[in-house]
Amino acid sequence: MAAVEIDGLTKDYLVGFWRRRPYRALDGLTLTVEAGEIFGFLGPNGAGKSTTLKLLMQLIYPTAGRAAILGRPIGDRAMRRRIGFLPENPYFYDYLTAEELLTYFGSLFGLRGMDLRRRVSAVLDEVGIGRERTMRLRAFSKGMIQRVGIAQAILNEPEVVFFDEPMSGLDPLGRRDVRQAMLRLRDRGCTVFFSSHILSDAEALCSRVAILAKGRLVAAGRLSEMVPYGATGWEMVVAGVDDVAIRALAGAARKVTPLPDRRAAVELAPDVRPERFLASLPPGVEVVALNPMRATLEDYFVRTVAAPGERAGG
Amino acid sequence: MVSLRAVRLVAWAMFRETVRDRVPLSIAAFCAVLLGVSYLISQMTAGQDLKIIKDLGLSSLSVFGLLIAVFLGINLVAKEVERRSIYPVIAKPVTREEFLLGKYTGLALALVANLAAMTAAFFAVLLFVDVATPAFAKSGWPAPATDPWLLAAIGLIVAELLVVTAIALFFSTFSSPMLSALLTLGLWVAGHFNADLRRFEAVVDVPALAWIARGMYYVLPNLAPFDIKAEVVHGVPVAWSHVGLTLAYAVTYITLALLAAVAVFRRRDFK
Amino acid sequence: MAPPGSTRLLLAMGGLLAVAIALQVVRDRGWQPYEPATPLLWVQSPEAVARASLGHRNLVADVYWIRAVVYYGSQRLSGRGADYGLLYPLLDFVTTLDPRFRIAYRFGAIFLAEGYPRGPGRPDLAIRLLEKGVAADPARWEYVQDIGFVYYWWLRDARAAAEWFQRASAVPGAPSWLRLLAATTFASGGDRRSSRQLWQQLQDTADNDWLRRTAAMRLAQLDAMDLLDRLNAAADRVRGVPVDPAGVPFERDADGRFRLSPQSPLWPLPQEPPATP
Repeated sequence: MAAVEIDGLTKDYLVGFWRRRPYRALDGLTLTVEAGEIFGFLGPNGAGKSTTLKLLMQLIYPTAGRAAILGRPIGDRAMRRRIGFLPENPYFYDYLTAEELLTYFGSLFGLRGMDLRRRVSAVLDEVGIGRERTMRLRAFSKGMIQRVGIAQAILNEPEVVFFDEPMSGLDPLGRRDVRQAMLRLRDRGCTVFFSSHILSDAEALCSRVAILAKGRLVAAGRLSEMVPYGATGWEMVVAGVDDVAIRALAGAARKVTPLPDRRAAVELAPDVRPERFLASLPPGVEVVALNPMRATLEDYFVRTVAAPGERAGG
Repeated sequence: MVSLRAVRLVAWAMFRETVRDRVPLSIAAFCAVLLGVSYLISQMTAGQDLKIIKDLGLSSLSVFGLLIAVFLGINLVAKEVERRSIYPVIAKPVTREEFLLGKYTGLALALVANLAAMTAAFFAVLLFVDVATPAFAKSGWPAPATDPWLLAAIGLIVAELLVVTAIALFFSTFSSPMLSALLTLGLWVAGHFNADLRRFEAVVDVPALAWIARGMYYVLPNLAPFDIKAEVVHGVPVAWSHVGLTLAYAVTYITLALLAAVAVFRRRDFK
Repeated sequence: MAPPGSTRLLLAMGGLLAVAIALQVVRDRGWQPYEPATPLLWVQSPEAVARASLGHRNLVADVYWIRAVVYYGSQRLSGRGADYGLLYPLLDFVTTLDPRFRIAYRFGAIFLAEGYPRGPGRPDLAIRLLEKGVAADPARWEYVQDIGFVYYWWLRDARAAAEWFQRASAVPGAPSWLRLLAATTFASGGDRRSSRQLWQQLQDTADNDWLRRTAAMRLAQLDAMDLLDRLNAAADRVRGVPVDPAGVPFERDADGRFRLSPQSPLWPLPQEPPATP
């Protein structure tokens, strides 16, 4: 059974103060997320990612289309006990402690008594909130609030979780913690549906992604299989090079830029296999870094997405 | 349809969140201090100190209660939407109706708790005056210092404030915190001038205008009847039926405002 | 899809509105906003202040009462240069804002009637203020009695005083001694005996210290007058220095007659009303 099924979901907002006219934030989105996968919902800011998540959580109501989570319509109350939601930049109540907030949310899920206390304590441990749990949330940093947000989303041992931009505004350590939390959830059999405008987040985690732009789905599937999204070349940093080596490298590479300390940056064309290039390196040259070169999501959208978007707008 | 457990849970969380907030707390503390000072103020007058303490006490309860009600009122829904703290809650197995009723109940409880504390301070001052006054002087009091009717006056003040909070809830389901505070205060002022609307036909010749005024008198929240401060201070009897009917009116109007709030809120998009 | 239309909600709201209107109609049959029973003379300013006070007119009245007391006290301290011109307008303002402000009528009348420089010496205004109080709250026999008192003590009109005492005794709930007082005042036309009775009643029934002290002082003055009469009758036979009830020695004038010393707290003694036939 699919974890999330979205069928023709459309949302128009009325904009303008005096002459209200509809603005289409989401245009006929159809999408299926399979149970047990980490699904990345990608797109630049304003693409309709948050709109989709809000529609699924019934924070807003669709203009057309429908969706089901765990095979139940999105309004179903019993289904809501089986899902978790982390909003973008979550905000909770200032004067409750982390523990009290989770106890409150846990009781809304129907937990009570010892079960509730044990569960609250367990999720706080899991997201790494220790003694701070008895502090009021007012005193929490953004990263700590994000941890509380994740804790409240997984409190009920959900079958599907929805994370809206879970890594935005976090430092690298915080991003790593969030990634690990998502992997743990997947290992437990939980479906993870998360949105992001940062591609590298998705590359490290997702089995499948959907890419959204200007309210429309432009691509869905495995990231590596997306034809327009293959590597556009390779980028390498090598050390221990002299003028002779640089001339030798320049023969095979698209571009060579000398760097200080006998280093050089080397760019390879996409049709050059890096394995073969490495084998041909002159003796004494060491590889410091090797990365595929890819267009950023923004570059990608500018090239392939702008056209349909403009059609929708015009 | 509406789960009372969910309402109770939301209410309890809101109550805790609110009673810890410094603003209503400091308003209540200021009011308690003022009540203490009222004893000093009353010493500056020739006699009649009890009347002045009672006037000052009842008026500060009602003014500071209003401040708290409006302050809590803007926190009701508008601020939750503005700060998006409502998002994780709505995604939980809680209907919007339950959320709204829970919020109202929790804030009403916080309001009652604040007013109870102020009332306790008020009665402490009155008790002190009662003990400090010699018996011969008490014979001239129109009503005893710790007159139980004061509680009736305070009860009606609380009922009025609960009506105001329900109105604030309604406004905050569709407008910003500032705007809902202003709209609520506006209706409160209108509610106190309301009695003039009834006598409007004496002022204008146009029957249609008089009818509109009369219609507004009955439809707008009618808050003047909740004010029996003057009667109670002077020991003028107030009919129990007046208190009873006014309380019944409060319950009706609160229910009406809550239903209106639900009608707006259940269809609202949180952008 | 958004939740379906709220027809049932709207119906329920309509029903509740009907109930709210019905409740108001029933309540308004037995209730009027608490307002003065008589039309007000000083309409403009007190009324405007009452509006601005938004249901706190009692409190505003308190504030103005405090102002009136402070004003009276400060003028009184200034002695010969005292100007009490604002006293009556202030008291009128207070009692317009709070028509049942009992002490504003009673003390206000005492302030107004008090002779210059200890007061403006306007018993006519005192009576006007008290009459306003009677109009606002006809059940208050004290106001009526106080009017009689002003006639008796300050205007030295025992007949009018007796008539007012009689009117006061006719108010339901008035004490029985008022009838006795009216009778005595009618009969003796204002001798010291009825004066003494009047003050004694006031002292016994006064509900605050200030009034009690005033009554006690007036009684002591009457004692002093009795004593002076007896002393003066026996003036020639008296040797040594006699003292008044306050303990201050009496002075003797050029004729050798005793009189109260201006240093005495009992000074000055009131003028006695002329005996009526």
